[in-house]
Amino acid sequence: MSATRNEMGGERAPGDLAHALHETEPHVPVFTGARRAELDELLTRYPTKMAALLPALWIVQEERGWVSSDAMAEVAQVLELTPAYVKGVVSFYTMYHQHPVGRHFIQVCTTSPCNVCGAEDVVNAFLKHTGCEELGVTSGDGKYTVIEVECLGACGFATPVMVNEKFIESVTPETVPALLASLG
Amino acid sequence: MADVKMVNLTIEGRTVAVPDGTSILEAAKAAGVLIPHYCYHPGLPVAGVCRMCLVEVEKAPKLAPSCATSVAEGQVVHVHSEKALEARKGVLEMLLINHPLDCPICDQAGECELQDYTYQEGRAEGRYRDPKRFNPVEDFGGDVVYVANRCILCTRCVRFMDDVAHDPVLTVAERGDRALIGKFEGEDLTHPWAGNVIDLCPVGALLSKDSLNKARAWELDRSASVCPHCSQGCNMIVETRDNQVMRLRPRPNEAVNKYFMCDHGRLNYRWMNRQDRVDVPLVRQAGVLASADWEIALRAAAALLAGKRAFVLASPNLSNEALFLLGRLAKKTGGTGAFRVPQGAEAPLPGVEDLALRADRAANGRGAELLGFTRSETPLSGLGAGDVLIVADEELAQLDASGAAKAGAVIVIGTTLPAWARHAANVVLPIANCTEEEGTFTNLRGRVQRFLQAKAAPGVARPSYFVLGDLLAAAGEGSGFWTAGQTFDALAASVPAYAGLSYDGLGLRGAMTQGALAGASA
Amino acid sequence: MGFPHKPHERETLVLSKHFGEQEAIGLDGWRKRGGYVALQKALSMTPAEIVAIVKESGLRGRGGAGFPTGVKWSFMKPGDGKPHYLCCNADESEPGTFKDREIMRWTPHSLVEGCAIGAYAIGAEVAYIYIRGEYTEALDKMNAACKEAYAAGILGTNAMGTGKTVHVYVHKGAGAYICGEETALMNSLEGRRGNPRIKPPFPAVAGLFGQPTTINNVETLVAVPHILNNGAEWYKKFGRPDNPKSTGTKLYSVCGNIQRPGNYEVPMGFPFKDFLYDLCGGPLPGRQFKAIIPGGISVPIQTREEAENSPMDYEGFVANGTMLGSGGVIVIDDAQNLVKQIARAARFFAHESCAQCTQCREGTAWTTKILERIVAGDGSHEDLETLLEIGENMTGKTICVLSDSCATPVASGLQKFRGDFEALIKKKKVHMVPAQVA
Repeated sequence: MSATRNEMGGERAPGDLAHALHETEPHVPVFTGARRAELDELLTRYPTKMAALLPALWIVQEERGWVSSDAMAEVAQVLELTPAYVKGVVSFYTMYHQHPVGRHFIQVCTTSPCNVCGAEDVVNAFLKHTGCEELGVTSGDGKYTVIEVECLGACGFATPVMVNEKFIESVTPETVPALLASLG
Repeated sequence: MADVKMVNLTIEGRTVAVPDGTSILEAAKAAGVLIPHYCYHPGLPVAGVCRMCLVEVEKAPKLAPSCATSVAEGQVVHVHSEKALEARKGVLEMLLINHPLDCPICDQAGECELQDYTYQEGRAEGRYRDPKRFNPVEDFGGDVVYVANRCILCTRCVRFMDDVAHDPVLTVAERGDRALIGKFEGEDLTHPWAGNVIDLCPVGALLSKDSLNKARAWELDRSASVCPHCSQGCNMIVETRDNQVMRLRPRPNEAVNKYFMCDHGRLNYRWMNRQDRVDVPLVRQAGVLASADWEIALRAAAALLAGKRAFVLASPNLSNEALFLLGRLAKKTGGTGAFRVPQGAEAPLPGVEDLALRADRAANGRGAELLGFTRSETPLSGLGAGDVLIVADEELAQLDASGAAKAGAVIVIGTTLPAWARHAANVVLPIANCTEEEGTFTNLRGRVQRFLQAKAAPGVARPSYFVLGDLLAAAGEGSGFWTAGQTFDALAASVPAYAGLSYDGLGLRGAMTQGALAGASA
Repeated sequence: MGFPHKPHERETLVLSKHFGEQEAIGLDGWRKRGGYVALQKALSMTPAEIVAIVKESGLRGRGGAGFPTGVKWSFMKPGDGKPHYLCCNADESEPGTFKDREIMRWTPHSLVEGCAIGAYAIGAEVAYIYIRGEYTEALDKMNAACKEAYAAGILGTNAMGTGKTVHVYVHKGAGAYICGEETALMNSLEGRRGNPRIKPPFPAVAGLFGQPTTINNVETLVAVPHILNNGAEWYKKFGRPDNPKSTGTKLYSVCGNIQRPGNYEVPMGFPFKDFLYDLCGGPLPGRQFKAIIPGGISVPIQTREEAENSPMDYEGFVANGTMLGSGGVIVIDDAQNLVKQIARAARFFAHESCAQCTQCREGTAWTTKILERIVAGDGSHEDLETLLEIGENMTGKTICVLSDSCATPVASGLQKFRGDFEALIKKKKVHMVPAQVA
């Protein structure tokens, strides 16, 4: 299935990295050892296995950086669901990546409250300083992907930016270069 | 039903009483009012997402989705009030903004609910001026192709595969106006009942590959029938054009198949159009089978039977009427009959009680049993030396045709002429197949159901009961079997299992034979 | 407080009293500040007694709907033999709103306590806190707080030594505004796509996992310990004397073109004019307030005059052309392109639509496309009429109100700022000429 949608779904990132639904090497199971124990503990919190689906997908993304089709199949098998069902859930929630993304996945809020505070200038500053040619397309060295996201819930601290799991407040075009330098 | 609380309400000015818990949409049906809808289907769990079924309920602050709203005592419902019409017009307009105007090339045209309701209640012109969303066509496996652009996201297909087929291989993928139906690679619509999603799809998003671009809906003639491919007896519709069967589709019957039909049944229609038919009577003269007219052929067959014992090798795909008369013929000569049922893998539809593609791959095995024929894996073993073997539409493909060698004479009454019969048959009488005549089948639960004629038989082939009636007359037995109805009524009068039934009384829903198997669906 | 600014003297610091205090985050520091006294008291009362107090206090849901909390809790039938659930809605995704985030990252134990009391009051042994996936700091702090609470015996099968069972679990969302809708939240918790459900059945009858469930916002739940500690009468004192329907304090998240954005806590009925100009410092230099949205992006836009006239409570805002909603105050000044911001708001809704209902799925995207065309100078007068009609078709006809929420800024924008739209409409009308067949 083609992963690029029309402009509404802008943040799907096919990237220069393989626009891949599959991993390039055979899938190594995620839910072994400590991760399996973590899932087992989570399962005690809910009366159904299905309720552990979002937490399980987070474990996958923490381990592998994205959720591949093979990972979806593994999660389905572990939670006794079908792969199609898991795919339906993964594709609903925008925080799960269905493709590999840049090492630093930069998400800039541009919804109206931040928009009136210059969020679009922050986006342009990121594009300029990361060398990414356009939104959603990973930089040639695989280091950065820049996307616009919807309200991050830090409107009074415009403009908020997330880099992977890191939440940074009050970013301005002037502070962008230092921010990027701090990422390493 | 005892103690069901009834609720009275008024819909479009008509008062109606329905059981408590009925939806307004179903109550409207009972009142004779069709509320336009897409996602609702009586065979699927309620979704309430298309928002097409919105109606105005007096004293309620908002319009109600009638498929998902239960009736209440004294409710007054307006289906065609200005507010309701505006709302539905709005839904139709929204559905059409991304929907490609593919009607000229879309198979669904002519039987498309989007066309129908737009024509009935939609805007005359669209106001959308922006680019439409695009998604590529996808092969969903089995007989199904998914044209994503046309999809209106009613989710009937997803709910069918999940709740009825218990094979949740379809899902809604993505969100917002990017949403479409998705599946996982490697998981296809190969479930034996998956083809039903094509019928369920209100628009041309899910299409049959087999029927793709073959015929326009309005070119087709439709006849009610019963699927002959197994003993379940799903009710179906035979669709023909220019005397060719183009398509088979399920016909609703709450007691047998609900709204569904399996892929094996629906896709196996080509044999109904086969060209290698025997279409003229044949009589062996001077060692060669030569065409003859009916009079001569019938007299020749009767002559062969005179003073001899007949053994009937019957096909379990023959109608009750044909089998009844064959039984008469056998009994008259002091003979018997047997039949064999080809087998296949059973494939249930788990979400419906007692519905499956049955292991018995023939329409009327039960009927043959009730009419006194013996079921056997080696049906020819009952043939006595010197008997007249009547092969009734049985191709003998899987049987050892050499078993027929001990017969004194062979009469073939059938739709085709099997290879071995070219040398062995003395008389061949051509008959119509089940799409070319009318009659009845009895399904595995003992339900007798009528099938109607959908197309003309080839050449001078005649309905089976007609030919057998004539043969009985030629053999000195009374006639009076000119129609299927007469034959069935005579059958009902003489076979205890069918007591009390009449051909007219069967209607198009069928009726149960006496002493039907315990635990059978009513 | 106007955190991150120092509290303004006219604020009333109840929920936000300890924002900015590092020591308040951990269990010991929270206990020093009076934490878990209310829970201990609650566990010695009957659930019915707690519900009565909360009902009497007039506390209303702070997530946006403003439904009386005590009444909502009373829908949960005790002794029905079914497992009850409390869901804390920490999905905070309404643009302009960022108060729950502060509550969770500065005073996480206040929420643990609020959830524990709320769960006990509705007969639930399990409370789930559904936190949006982007709130990484809140997730860390809440997870740590729960761990501390379990270790200290506050939570678990012997909550605070009473032998009663109270579990509080944190559940991480994954990027969907619609999961802030209570029935979508339940679906998401169950491991499904975040689709809202048709009501009836209502959550109190059949909710999470099909069992009786109550969903409450973060700010609502953290008010409960204060009400139990100080009494319902104390809570009712905050508010306009002539409006007993709105009681207590409210945390307002202020953002946009204003001197001092941040979270401010004021009592119900506080004058909005004073709030904007005094507490928040007024407009940026050389600018004037133009459009104010006091309750998050889903409520109608106010003109400056309407805003300056509003008492800040549920009824006060309704009387002045808008709603209190989530209390996310978005301020747009006269240097901004208002139509562009309305288009951006529509784009937000189009992105977040779950895709179930036709009007929302198609209408949000259509609205966005028309607005963006208008902003780009390619709009027509017919487009404005079409926008209003699309908005009407999107209102009151869907499973949830995301659809209505998209229509609201457009309708109020066109109603109160029509000139802005018309200024962007092309002056020249293009006539379509049919092609000539040679």
